[in-house]
Amino acid sequence: MDTLKHVINVLSAPQVSFLAAAIAFFFVFPPTDRFQSWNRRLRLDWLWTVKGGILLHALVIGAFFLSTLDPNFRAIVTKPDNVPIALLLFGTLFFLWLSMKQACDNDARLANDQKPNEYTDPSESKILVWPDLVYIELIAGILCMAALIFWSIALEAPLEEPANPTLSPNPAKAPWYFLGLQEMLVYFDPWLAGVVFPVIIIVGLMSLPYIDTEPGGSGYYSYSDRKLYVSLFMFGWLLLWVYLIIVGAFMRGPNWNFFGPYERWDLHKVVALTNINLSSLIWVKLLNQPLPDNIIIREMFGIAMLGFHFLVIPPLLAMTILKKFYARMGNVKYAVFMFLSMAAVSLPIKMFLRWTINLKYVVAIPGWFNL
Amino acid sequence: MAEEEKKDFWARFFGSYIWKSIFRVGIPRDRRGRLMQVLSNFFLHLHPVSLPKHAVKLKYTWCMGGLSFFLFIVLTFTGVLLMFYYRPTIEYAYNDVIDLRETTPMGIMREIHRWAAHLMVIAVWFHMFRVFMTGSYKAPREFNWCIGVVLLTFTLLLSFTGYLLPWDQLAIWAITVGSNMAAATPFVGQEGPGVALLSIGNVNLIGRTSDARFLLLGDTSIGAGALLRFYVFHCVFFPLIAVFFMVVHFWRVRKDGGISGPV
Amino acid sequence: MADSKQDQADKLKAAGAGKAHGHVAKGHVASGDGQTRRSFISWVVVGWAAFAACMGGLATITMRFFAPNVLYEPQQTFRAGAVSEYAPGEVSTRWKSKFGIWIVRLDDRVVALSTICTHLGCTPNWLASEQKFKCPCHGSAFRMNGINFEGPAPRPLERHKIYLDDEGIMVVDKTVSFRQERGQWDEPESFVAV
Ligand code: HEM
Ligand code: FES
Repeated sequence: MDTLKHVINVLSAPQVSFLAAAIAFFFVFPPTDRFQSWNRRLRLDWLWTVKGGILLHALVIGAFFLSTLDPNFRAIVTKPDNVPIALLLFGTLFFLWLSMKQACDNDARLANDQKPNEYTDPSESKILVWPDLVYIELIAGILCMAALIFWSIALEAPLEEPANPTLSPNPAKAPWYFLGLQEMLVYFDPWLAGVVFPVIIIVGLMSLPYIDTEPGGSGYYSYSDRKLYVSLFMFGWLLLWVYLIIVGAFMRGPNWNFFGPYERWDLHKVVALTNINLSSLIWVKLLNQPLPDNIIIREMFGIAMLGFHFLVIPPLLAMTILKKFYARMGNVKYAVFMFLSMAAVSLPIKMFLRWTINLKYVVAIPGWFNL
Repeated sequence: MAEEEKKDFWARFFGSYIWKSIFRVGIPRDRRGRLMQVLSNFFLHLHPVSLPKHAVKLKYTWCMGGLSFFLFIVLTFTGVLLMFYYRPTIEYAYNDVIDLRETTPMGIMREIHRWAAHLMVIAVWFHMFRVFMTGSYKAPREFNWCIGVVLLTFTLLLSFTGYLLPWDQLAIWAITVGSNMAAATPFVGQEGPGVALLSIGNVNLIGRTSDARFLLLGDTSIGAGALLRFYVFHCVFFPLIAVFFMVVHFWRVRKDGGISGPV
Repeated sequence: MADSKQDQADKLKAAGAGKAHGHVAKGHVASGDGQTRRSFISWVVVGWAAFAACMGGLATITMRFFAPNVLYEPQQTFRAGAVSEYAPGEVSTRWKSKFGIWIVRLDDRVVALSTICTHLGCTPNWLASEQKFKCPCHGSAFRMNGINFEGPAPRPLERHKIYLDDEGIMVVDKTVSFRQERGQWDEPESFVAV
């Protein structure tokens, strides 16, 4: 048992778990036809059947409750402020399954030239709002209120020591819904993580309907016809938001160190994390030279990498595998789409470099631009 | 005899001048009456009178948008109740929050408010996820999706400003970090990139007492000013804006053709 | 009164019309009351510009309202005791909770280090066993002298003005700060030599 726990602790280190999740992700939520044929060959779509759903939930819920036998795990998940996160996780799993199941059913129907499940023949009479919908709303409200009152009696709302401006709690966490952003703050400058990223998220979400103007796929669950967009959205929502909330809530302990789910939160855990910039990595370690004085020359490798990432890859894709897509999208939409996707992809890359080689900044121009 | 009289009483009650002036249509017994019920009631006229079958199914909408709104109402109600006890000053805030548990009957009003706030955030997210998965952001509902994103932002802002009010350790450190990000905003924050450009000679235009963070907190660190400001934002300013956008949101749902569905 | 204003306006209109006439003959289309399209447009521009300026002014005043003119900050200077009260190589947390200052005795000097993390303002903890300040919020760490080396902090901790008063007692003045990245750590007011 202890060895198993130890193995899980090691595997849950972000460099392992994130990489595994990110690779598995594209097979479970295929963005292209190629991935989808793999998905079919591996029978991963079985997850979105009733049986698959039962297994999925049983596994996750079972693992969760088994884990609560472990005192370290229990100590963390039962903190009152972490209860909503558990709720969020099980809810996410359930609704993910529910939507994917309906999407798969509809995909099969559409492939057979049938209408989606949601379709009602116009000749059928409509449902009256009074009484049908109004009662559903009433019952939903009552259930919700009952649950809330029960929850409020069972669990006191958290309240810590009175505010003390000279002593930060250890660890000091943001409200759980911002833990993803707090995690970003570890890897990026505050003005990027705190100002630019939220703006990109908000603007990116708002621009979605103006980028994805493909006809069809509106008003019913579906996957196959919209796989690129659904896959990308899920990537942002599951891996960059929910995953980071889990990490932030359950695996960031004292001094903001990583802790496995069954590891004790040791105040004195020593982790050497001496950061290094890409410039010193290349100039000093690889080329054995002193850092050049000219900032642009010093940072040229990082700038070249950024340029390649944002300015070279998108046109390359447009000329090769995304040729048809590019033709359909036109310049502006394609550019916005690519900027958002490449930005979303760049986050995990930077995080990964920090976890593995302690890279601090790819480009470091102090006071201006640290990335 | 008594039976008769009772029936007679209710018949007279529902038929009375006063009752009829309030509820224009009688008890709905047929299809037409039910349609009229929705049409003639202010609170119900948010809805259309009838809907396609799939739109009332739980597995389509998950009821998440409705729950978000319901939770907002619960939050407004409990929030106003909390305001009767809570005073937004450094001396009182923390103790008032304790008193809400210790000295008010039942002592769970704050709990309801706080857990409902968490639930609302979750409900809004799932609502967005549902809308995405059903492709309901596509034409003609593009703009309503944008309004939804604004509503999500304001839900988070409401929750975040509320987080400071108990004035405990969780509160001030979350807000310290959050508000220092404002100080890192390009050009308008004193720590952000570009401030060096905004100077006349040696004097910086944007400094400790003139940057975005200072405007937000009314002080150079989290203190009495910040608590009062967040209180006003939380209890008046943001809820009003949120209500405004919700009204537009609901109106657009109707005008964009009701709940989405396949054609 | 009203008449004279009307006169002026007419004159202006006439002037505008004249200009318009010179350049674009086609633009000179008299509208009902003898006004030209060109002059009408320029009045619209002036009107809207004035309106925008007023709104901008209002917005500025509103924004400015949020920045109070007087601050009630806690005491910013304090006496930190004699140099001899601090052992060589010691990081003293004596004034941390009251004034937000660590007194650090380095090899050749005593400095007053700010307890505000340069990342986003949390208060790091001094971990004596590891000889570093570690911030609990996002994991930045600083060496004893205040230089950052782990995590996201963009620059070293700030040092505050410290000097000996007439009685040989160190006084810390938090209103003046010295930043390493601006090369201010060698300024005489930033330390007390030992
Ligand atoms: C008009 C609506 C609202 C009013 C009048 C209101 C009022 C208040 C008051 C007076 C407090 C302080 C008492 C306390 O800290 O326990 C508070 C706390 C709080 N509110 Fe609200 N609120 C409203 C809506 C919301 C909404 C929509 C949300 C989030 C979605 C929210 C989230 C919170 C949170 C997270 C706290 C901290 C609760 C705690 O720690 O106890 N509030 N609110
Ligand atoms: S505030 Fe210290 S690391 Fe972020």
